[in-house]
Amino acid sequence: MGIATSDKPFNERITEAEADKFMRASVAKAQDAQFQKRTEARRQLGNWEGWRDLSAEIRQHVLKHLPDYLEEFSDNVQKNGGHVFFAKDGDEASTFIKELAIKKKAQHIVKSKSMVTTEIGLDKDLLTIPGVSLMETDLAEFILQEDNWDEPTHIVFPTLHKNRNQIQKVFEKLGYDGDNDPEHMARFVRHYLRNYFMKADFGITGCNFAIANNGMINLVTNEGNADLTMAIPKTQVVVMGMERIVPSLKEAETLDNVLCRSAVGQKLTSYCTFSKGKEANEADGPDDFYVVIVDNGRSEMLNTDFEPMLQCIRCGSCLNVCPVYRQVGGKGYGSIYPGPMGAVLSPILGGYQEFKELPYACSLCAACTETCPVKIPLHDLIRHHRYVEMDQLHLDHSMSNTLLKAVGKGTSSPVLFNDAMRFAHIALEPFGKKTTPEDVKNLYPEGKINHLPAVAPKLAQGWVNVRDLAVPPKYHQNFRHWYRHHEEEEGQKND
Amino acid sequence: MRYTYYDKHLLIFIGFDYFKEAKCIQLMHTYMKVCIFSTCIVDLLYPDVGKATVELLQRFGCETFFPNKQICCGQPTYNSGYDKETMATFKNQLDALLSIDADYIVGPTGSCVAMLHEYKDIFKDDPEYAKKAQVLYDKSFELTQFIYRVLGILDCGAELDDTATFHRSCHMTRLLGERTAPIVLLEHVKGLQLIPLHNIQLCCGFGGTFSVKEPLISEAMVDDKADNVLKTKAHVLIACEQTCLMNIGGRINRRHDGSHIKIMHIAEVLNHNVDPSRITYVKDTDHVMVPANGNGVF
Amino acid sequence: MTDYLKDANTKQNQEDFLNRIAKAADRPRHTLKDDPFVPVNDLPEKTLSGKSQDELLEIAKKNSEEVHVDFRIVKSAELGHTLNDFIQEKDIKSLMLPSFDEKKWQDYSLGNWQDNLRVDPVYYWEEELGRQNIVNANNSDGAIGFADFLLAESGTITIATYPEQGRTFHFLPTHYLAIIPKSKILPRSRQAMDYYQKAIQDGTLKTSNINFITGPSNSGDIEMVLIVGVHGPLDMEYVVVEDM
Repeated sequence: MGIATSDKPFNERITEAEADKFMRASVAKAQDAQFQKRTEARRQLGNWEGWRDLSAEIRQHVLKHLPDYLEEFSDNVQKNGGHVFFAKDGDEASTFIKELAIKKKAQHIVKSKSMVTTEIGLDKDLLTIPGVSLMETDLAEFILQEDNWDEPTHIVFPTLHKNRNQIQKVFEKLGYDGDNDPEHMARFVRHYLRNYFMKADFGITGCNFAIANNGMINLVTNEGNADLTMAIPKTQVVVMGMERIVPSLKEAETLDNVLCRSAVGQKLTSYCTFSKGKEANEADGPDDFYVVIVDNGRSEMLNTDFEPMLQCIRCGSCLNVCPVYRQVGGKGYGSIYPGPMGAVLSPILGGYQEFKELPYACSLCAACTETCPVKIPLHDLIRHHRYVEMDQLHLDHSMSNTLLKAVGKGTSSPVLFNDAMRFAHIALEPFGKKTTPEDVKNLYPEGKINHLPAVAPKLAQGWVNVRDLAVPPKYHQNFRHWYRHHEEEEGQKND
Repeated sequence: MRYTYYDKHLLIFIGFDYFKEAKCIQLMHTYMKVCIFSTCIVDLLYPDVGKATVELLQRFGCETFFPNKQICCGQPTYNSGYDKETMATFKNQLDALLSIDADYIVGPTGSCVAMLHEYKDIFKDDPEYAKKAQVLYDKSFELTQFIYRVLGILDCGAELDDTATFHRSCHMTRLLGERTAPIVLLEHVKGLQLIPLHNIQLCCGFGGTFSVKEPLISEAMVDDKADNVLKTKAHVLIACEQTCLMNIGGRINRRHDGSHIKIMHIAEVLNHNVDPSRITYVKDTDHVMVPANGNGVF
Repeated sequence: MTDYLKDANTKQNQEDFLNRIAKAADRPRHTLKDDPFVPVNDLPEKTLSGKSQDELLEIAKKNSEEVHVDFRIVKSAELGHTLNDFIQEKDIKSLMLPSFDEKKWQDYSLGNWQDNLRVDPVYYWEEELGRQNIVNANNSDGAIGFADFLLAESGTITIATYPEQGRTFHFLPTHYLAIIPKSKILPRSRQAMDYYQKAIQDGTLKTSNINFITGPSNSGDIEMVLIVGVHGPLDMEYVVVEDM
């Protein structure tokens, strides 16, 4: 089980995404709405840059001392009567949880939304246990589950690609007979899942932050399902990526504040909870509290240029500002981690072979880097993937590779570049067409090129298939000629 | 990894009084030597942008120089992942631009200037070039940033009696950290009516080789941008980046849906119909210099 | 079956993992004591500091209403009435209450209030009832609870879990009301966190769970349309007791 959500090739996914008008419109609408909310929430906080500095510092500090903090956390969980299992990969984590569910004779498993459990493919593993039922209880995850385990397309809003009518159809299979009003549908789910919650005996949650110095875990949610998952079942399993840890409640507080503002534009989400196994004199909460700490490829980022990616707190704001995500949505990326953070994370966790195109599906506009609350230089890391793919792994053997290497030569040699300037006009002029009054003014003084013969390189086609290209100026009319001439004139004037 | 995109210009922001009161005045009494950083796109395709840049700077009393060995900042190959292949390009550009002992290096592009700034990080383990890269970093400015923040000019004396919308380019805004200088200068162009561009923060879909490697995605992005530009009903589209303009303009041209628009690089606007007697310096007004990052980065 | 279950809480499982990532990071372990975390700024403490309790109340009201909370400010003498109004307005037939001792109720001038309740049944959250409390909470139309603090900045109530007032007390009943003394309004989450951190450390608070609750449960999962009331309470009321 990997993080891939599709076995279709990249180009096919992109073509399908482009054609999905509803999806693109809803992503655009979501991005625009989040832009307003997020900007306002951050503005109200004041000194946002200072908060980013502090948040980034916390994350970097923790990564620097990651084994120490994990050790402290693990000791404290055990001191509180809980259990910790360190899993080096998804298989170990998933198998552990499955065997635990069997040992505990779990019958009704409840889950609250967790990216890491999706990453390790936990649901499908648990469903192989005979007689066990499992319920995703986050509204969006529940919709995906009931829609034949459709894949999430956003790390915070997993069902962004579905409209209310599609969701209504999903619920009708469960006996819903109301209209497509989101509130009515949500009430139906509340009732449906409440009954299940009441008989749940095994709860699985993710973890926004683990608190090293007291062994608690911090969950940040809006619906209330995570808190029910932590309160009703007698056994709770927390699955956490190994990097999701903070020194104490104070640092969790700082990060929760930037997380909520970044993720959903709220000052704090409805529920921000710090929790562990129940005390003896308390009536609800888990008797048995397990934490599964998962590596699953994360340690490969340590001590590399990609280490800053481990600072990620999964707020999703980079998805919400990304102009590429806006066009192709989560399905275009084909990974449970889409958008800029996904373009960085997917090749590392899922392999370059599977996700080699993702780092190129980016215009390096740096909107992600600008918005990231923990200051991950996302666009730099995306570019760094390209370096790994081209200069280290040599993944491209196409004409584009040869051509770009030639560009490298051409832009380092003044002689070759001069030749390029000399021949640009001569080479392209034959394809030029005269402009008409209808054409965009100022852009095509020497004519436009809107078609190239099929033998032209793919890269050049890529431009001309979408946009008209200007015919380059004649050699003696280029900027450098003008400058030389201009300088002479100025010189004469001054003499 | 670097985290210092905003450092230099944040300093300008903090120290703008210094620039305004001391350095700018002082500089205006001396001849400023400016090295022109033309960019390969101007050299290969758009001579008019280069001409306007030179004319502007000379009008403001700068002595300009053009080192002929300069070629390209290296973005096309570097941003495609060919780091090793680009090292020679970087070194050539660095040596060329520093071959003249100019006070400043100025280019009509935020993106390529930001790339020059990045050399500092790229060459950090090369003692010889690290030093040079630092000099390059300190001296290089984007054109409007240079006019507003270094020369201290508020009104270039230009006139353009038309409606226009401004496309804010990503690298200039986010990597160079300059989002306000061009707006301030445009607001002082006589007769120019600026119409706000919806979703100004979104990339136009150029992205260098991205536009040719991922034409499908790029097309969808530039279509959105073109739609928003055309919705303003402005007659002119202005930007600090000729590459964005050739992308947006080129797409509008291809769609041929009866939309008319004129494309102007900001250098051409600020150099349009100039009345030198109207050139105004910040120090002579009560204008408070606007910080480079505007209302902050959210 | 594997041996994984036996590996939990073993030194070997922990050490193998931690040594492996320390090696990957190429950094020695146990360096933390020489390099403790020192924050670069004190924004969490300084933001919204220096406000009077009156100002905080004002801010808290505005921010609570922004997150769809019914916000009431009452004198302790009127508190009983306000609670009865809540029960009546929400048409609450079954009510859940905490089982704090007599003194706490008297502090809030609610000493006799419970005797004249016109609701049946009234469930008390009691340690002895164990998990039956969960069933009772699920059968309650409404709950009236006591919060530890109210945070002005975000309109958040904070509540630790107590034997007398458990976790699901705040989640399962359909309607929910929290009582907060005005003196317990804090600027923001940091001050509450400082309290909990200290209280847990010095042993004055023994709890397994701390809730920061900001308005009723909600979701934007369907077309990003805000739905108020999903798994938790459908609505929420904060009652600030002015003279406490």
